[in-house]
Amino acid sequence: MKKTHIPKLDDFLGGGVPKGSSLLFSAVPGVECEAFGYQILNGFMEDGNKGFIFTNVAEPSNITYEFSRYGWDLETRIKQGEAFFIDGASSFIGMPPDGKYIINNHEDVYEMVKKAIKDVEDGVGIINNLSTLIDYNDPDEIIPLIKGWNEEASKRGTVLVYLFTEWDYKPDLIESIRECFDCVVSLNSIEERVIIGQGFMVTSASWTKPQTHMVLFFIMQPGGVKIYIPKILVTGPYNAGKSSFVKAISQKSVSVDRMALEKFPTTIAMDIGHLDHGGFVADIFGTPGQERFDLMLDILAKEAVGAFILIDSSAPQTFARAKEMINKTHSEAIPNIIVANKQDLEGALSPEQIRQKMNLNDKIPILPTVVTAKTDVKQALDTLLKHLYG
Amino acid sequence: MIKTTKSGIPGFDELTSTDEFPGGIPLSRTTLIYGPPKTGKTIFANQFTYDGLENKLPCLYITADQGIKQLTMSMMEFNWFLQSYIESGDIYIIDGISQLGGVKLDDSVNYKTTTIGNPAELMIKVGIGSRYVYRKCPDFRSVLDSTTTMFAFNPEQMVLRVLNAYIRRNNEAGGAGLMTYTEGSTTDKTEQQLLSLFDNLIRMDGDTITIKSEYNQSENPDNFKSVYSIGEKGIVVDH
Repeated sequence: MKKTHIPKLDDFLGGGVPKGSSLLFSAVPGVECEAFGYQILNGFMEDGNKGFIFTNVAEPSNITYEFSRYGWDLETRIKQGEAFFIDGASSFIGMPPDGKYIINNHEDVYEMVKKAIKDVEDGVGIINNLSTLIDYNDPDEIIPLIKGWNEEASKRGTVLVYLFTEWDYKPDLIESIRECFDCVVSLNSIEERVIIGQGFMVTSASWTKPQTHMVLFFIMQPGGVKIYIPKILVTGPYNAGKSSFVKAISQKSVSVDRMALEKFPTTIAMDIGHLDHGGFVADIFGTPGQERFDLMLDILAKEAVGAFILIDSSAPQTFARAKEMINKTHSEAIPNIIVANKQDLEGALSPEQIRQKMNLNDKIPILPTVVTAKTDVKQALDTLLKHLYG
Repeated sequence: MIKTTKSGIPGFDELTSTDEFPGGIPLSRTTLIYGPPKTGKTIFANQFTYDGLENKLPCLYITADQGIKQLTMSMMEFNWFLQSYIESGDIYIIDGISQLGGVKLDDSVNYKTTTIGNPAELMIKVGIGSRYVYRKCPDFRSVLDSTTTMFAFNPEQMVLRVLNAYIRRNNEAGGAGLMTYTEGSTTDKTEQQLLSLFDNLIRMDGDTITIKSEYNQSENPDNFKSVYSIGEKGIVVDH
């Protein structure tokens, strides 16, 4: 097995990728993809293997510079004969070509890459980018081309990594492409009007039953692919049940409370919980509800990827405050749902009455719950996760 | 009703205003300005950008024809001074051309370089840039000048795919998008496909400006047609 050197990915794939296997990193437009290929090449070279990059999107000098931004020295590796380029970009944009193999005609790509695969036996080849290849070739030719390269790679023990952006191709073409690979890793976005997070997920692997959890990542320069535990916010007015909700959805949690009116605990700083639900891992941050602690809202809300807005369904007089807290935590800009708590109390309003009173648009889900009895808490969690990951 | 933002072009908002439509450039939509070379398309885009900046509306600006230095200088010809807005972070520039000349400029928070021949990377930067300007103001502006250069460095079908993704990204974020294109720089088929991506089209031929909009229609097509001139303060549309 060969290590990809992408955090978590090797664990998901049962330790790494077999020699001669083919991997597709398939990204929705706007999600960072190149760093995965470059990090794998760098890792392979650190392990003493050879590698190449076929590029049809940027000149080799730009990619070498990009490597240096990640803190990886590709230039020296090339000088030492550990890596080389197949330059399929420069000639087409009027720049001087630079690489072991130079592409002047698109028809030459197939044979040149085959030669390169042979040159780096037991090593790795990065194809950047498969999408551009599709539009330079007849779509009918792309599947035989991929299969031909993958067969050669399998014979030579070379791992082939393809970087692919899922533009608006026909779904059956995307499906046919995915079927050509031993392993497909999907790179997706978390969006709420704009991209607020990126995640990768193993969709298939022929040699193992992969773990298919979504892992959130960001790209560091220097550093490369780094994974992180996402943060989910729980906010809402005083006494809406936020701390109880954090406890109900978390495996572990702690609250910074004090006794209010010497009768019941109220949160004065924050609640922190850790969630592990169906393979999804997150830190939960609950805000205090009292206005005098509003100065903390901005800090607690920073970098959250989703939000639960807790309201007391039987206390419509607090709805204005709930809306104020949505604004103060910028929760409208991230996937969010309203948890309509205390549905067991007399006078509790229905979700539709709440929507009307709070003047919320139809897109925001409102989930009726009784948090203390854990009624429909799981449903609230599933709804937000579905909203986050589609 | 469709929300709009001021174009910043004297006479344009009045020309496009109807009972149902407030005039100007639509938000949550992307508009294409097209026409023969040297008819003022870039000036229109820059005037729109600068008007936004002066009114605290941030802009995501993708420059594919001119590097950042040339862009700043060409705007200065109209007394539109970009530098202070670059420093304040009100404009987020994606420079797709400077790297092609072999120049290695350092990125900053609101200035990113990319290669115009790498559409996947461009879209990543559009994604990050959209988030940046959206957080400053949801009624942001978004300009791409010009698509013509993208067609010159990439397969035409690929550029159409990228523009489609870009339009979707801008429209979902709610920005007022504007792109420019020089007529005749692609095949007729591609040009037709390109025009069909937009529901708001502005054609400038050097004398006349014509607006064709799918959601702002009139029984008399001449209602959205007028002459324009380019002076030292930019474009002025007769109305």
